[in-house]
Amino acid sequence: MSEQVPETQQGESDKQGEPRERSADEHPDVKKKDRIYDDLITMVSKLITLSPTDITPESDIIFDLGLDSLQLYELVIDLEDGYDIRLPDEDLEKIHTVQDIADLVFALAR
Amino acid sequence: MNTAEHDFAESLLHIFDNVLITEEKALSKGYFADLSIAELHTLDAIGPYEARAMSETAIRLGITTGTLTVAVDRLVRKGYVERNRDTKDRRVVRIHLTRRGKLAFRMHGKFHTLLVRRIMEPLDAERQEILAEMIRNVDQFVSEQYRKYSDEDIKNTAMDDSRRSLEDV
Repeated sequence: MSEQVPETQQGESDKQGEPRERSADEHPDVKKKDRIYDDLITMVSKLITLSPTDITPESDIIFDLGLDSLQLYELVIDLEDGYDIRLPDEDLEKIHTVQDIADLVFALAR
Repeated sequence: MNTAEHDFAESLLHIFDNVLITEEKALSKGYFADLSIAELHTLDAIGPYEARAMSETAIRLGITTGTLTVAVDRLVRKGYVERNRDTKDRRVVRIHLTRRGKLAFRMHGKFHTLLVRRIMEPLDAERQEILAEMIRNVDQFVSEQYRKYSDEDIKNTAMDDSRRSLEDV
């Protein structure tokens, strides 16, 4: 018999390391946040040739992932073009982690 | 000119020259070694977002459309700018930055930010405001002088044109 994994209200798996299951009636904002995060991970992993599994929401883009200013701007330009948003330098100064970028893109792309 | 005025004028000219030289050196050693400082300022005038009309960009740079066309040709060849006809008005040519152009624009902006920060950081808020006010005044004065000479150029060109027309009669 397989082990039963407790589910949250949204039907997400609570088991550590398991991919998060998305229910059909998931809130559009949650879906959008997930899509932005997935896009971001794909972009960053391509940019620094790192496996997506090595990137976590808490990864610091400079200290953990080692993006230099040129790579950071490459990422910014791809996000601006992909989501039709503007990411000014003043906003970039406030971000440190992958999750910070995802949250900023989500806020601007609404 | 007294000594203080002389020192001030010298410093002002040094700053102007050194900023340009430093920018050029930073460019030549970096990822955008194929760009001149004038080309970088053309990218600045185009900006990273909306496509701009050639005429509008020429005005922003204070150059003729003909001069800009030559500069843009070079930037297109180097892969920093793309040129397209306006979809609504085919007579209008619009230019926009490529991904590489946008990268150069952002890196150049970062250089300016670092420069300003280095100057402003040692000062408290009150002194920062005083310095900003002084710089604004210098900028305003120099801009007025520039406009005066530009207007004179336009007048002289118009006079030359009308003189030539009379000679042709």
